[in-house]
Amino acid sequence: MSDRITEESNSSETKELEQKQDKQKKEEEYEDEELPKLLLSDVQTLPSTPPSAVESNFAIYFALDFMKPRHDQYVYRHANGLCVIGLAPSHVAFKDEGGITSTDFNVGKSDRSGVKVTGKRKKNAQHFESNTALCKVSTKNDSYIVRCCVKGSLLEVNQQLIKQPELLNASADREGYIAIIMPKPVDWLKIKPSLVNLEEYKKLREVS
Amino acid sequence: MVRQDGYQFDSFSLEVSIPPLILQNEASLWSYMQSKYGSEPWFREKIHTGCVSIKDALKFSLINPLEKLLDCKSSLCPFRIRLTYTHTKASEGVAKCSDNGGSCKRRKTGESDSIGEGTLSSSVEDESFDFSKLFPKSENEPCNFSYNCSRTPFYFGGRYLKYSRNVSQTRWIIDDERMGEASVEEIIGIKVLQACGGDNYKFHAAGREDIDVRMLGPGRPFILEVQNTRLVPTEQFANDIEKMINKEENKLVRVNNLKLVGSDGWNLMREGEGEKQKQYAALVWTSRPLKDEDFQQVSSLKDLKVAQRTPIRVLHRRSPLEREKIIHWMKMETVAGSSQYFLLHLCTQAGTYIKEFVHGDLGRTHPSIGSILGCRAEILQLDVTDIKMECFLT
Repeated sequence: MSDRITEESNSSETKELEQKQDKQKKEEEYEDEELPKLLLSDVQTLPSTPPSAVESNFAIYFALDFMKPRHDQYVYRHANGLCVIGLAPSHVAFKDEGGITSTDFNVGKSDRSGVKVTGKRKKNAQHFESNTALCKVSTKNDSYIVRCCVKGSLLEVNQQLIKQPELLNASADREGYIAIIMPKPVDWLKIKPSLVNLEEYKKLREVS
Repeated sequence: MVRQDGYQFDSFSLEVSIPPLILQNEASLWSYMQSKYGSEPWFREKIHTGCVSIKDALKFSLINPLEKLLDCKSSLCPFRIRLTYTHTKASEGVAKCSDNGGSCKRRKTGESDSIGEGTLSSSVEDESFDFSKLFPKSENEPCNFSYNCSRTPFYFGGRYLKYSRNVSQTRWIIDDERMGEASVEEIIGIKVLQACGGDNYKFHAAGREDIDVRMLGPGRPFILEVQNTRLVPTEQFANDIEKMINKEENKLVRVNNLKLVGSDGWNLMREGEGEKQKQYAALVWTSRPLKDEDFQQVSSLKDLKVAQRTPIRVLHRRSPLEREKIIHWMKMETVAGSSQYFLLHLCTQAGTYIKEFVHGDLGRTHPSIGSILGCRAEILQLDVTDIKMECFLT
């Protein structure tokens, strides 16, 4: 009788061991077969050029002839309300020979690159109007003022532009952004009607 | 009432709350006796052997009949029965205490009745207040009585997988509209809540992923806290719930290794949460075709330091900081015979923003895949493939 009991307990032990081994095998199989299948399951039709991160995450607007003719700037607005400001490709500064040679954030009453904004509440951020000067970009013969375009708190200026102003010539629409501004919802609604979207911009500036 | 609510239990723990007025009377009686008999030897002896307070006496007298009625023993256990006696007449002592100001501390407790108690018991210790001045007045009104019972929370631990790119981790509602079609916490929480008859749940996970990012591999550790369950969950119960969640038709979420955990579950999950490494697979596009040298260059980078400024997409609610993160290793894999699409496998420090590491976030994350390869890079989809933590793996 005791033999039978030990036999039974042995077989249940082996059963447990088998189950464990099965589980391990399944996990290994998963790693080798299932996971890769899962990872690529959505890769059916890949576009030759996918939308960029800016196109996917921001609504793109342009401010044309802002305070002066041909002073065109872009405003990328994120779903969270933040606005990235920069020079549009049709900005007059790019027409000068040699392109942009230097930038200076020390305009108006303060050096915009000096302010340290801290904390979730964005303490110390300066509140600017839409026509407040952000920075001055200079070419060989001329200089141009870049403005906020949107009334709000200045969260950040692109410090990289100080040492690498050529970023503006190569990629003003990405790494050459000028600043990030946080407008109040009510101020955004006020300025929005004066901005144009990408389609309108292309038409008005005859860009492809 | 206990039966009415459908509580399942095999023992209970009794808590009694009595009105401050009684405590005050008791205290004033004591100080009176103290002043009158303090010098008598028999009094001193009594103090040494200890005296039973009114509250304890009440408790002792109630426990036995309750045990008989509910047919089980009382002991320290998760199921609590609370009997609350209140009296319309507020305690004079309490009013006088609040006048005293500083010496009385108002301790905040779970039940509102005990605030009066707390204030009083702390002032009883304050010897400068002479209770013998407050003479107990004879009372004609009986106390009001109320009761309720509850259970201390139960905790389930496990790992969840998220197969959908339209399911958020927690309930996400903006302007009365739900973002995504469901949430992991609701899918798991509602099932568990219904099955064990709880009042509500709290979902805690070790980190989180975006709504459009899948959670694959062994899954992400989580703890589900369920309050005031009517049934007592067991291991078998946890197994059954796990099977039930995984059988769901739409297969949005999967749960592994669901089991009951004690307080050690918290420690396991929180321990080193910030240091644990995470593994990802990202579908990346580059603006120029890639060659073998590019693949090798990327694989050769070990423990790469990356400076990430707070991504613009979260900058509205997080501090503007520059955080240094480490990419431990990377591996690239070609996809669908394309020379501009590939699968990037990477293992990073906890807290690294992967999407920004790929597209560079307008240069605010440096280096990025784009800057390493000298071209533009975009991320099309992201999956979490491993969370390297020890907990809830079985």
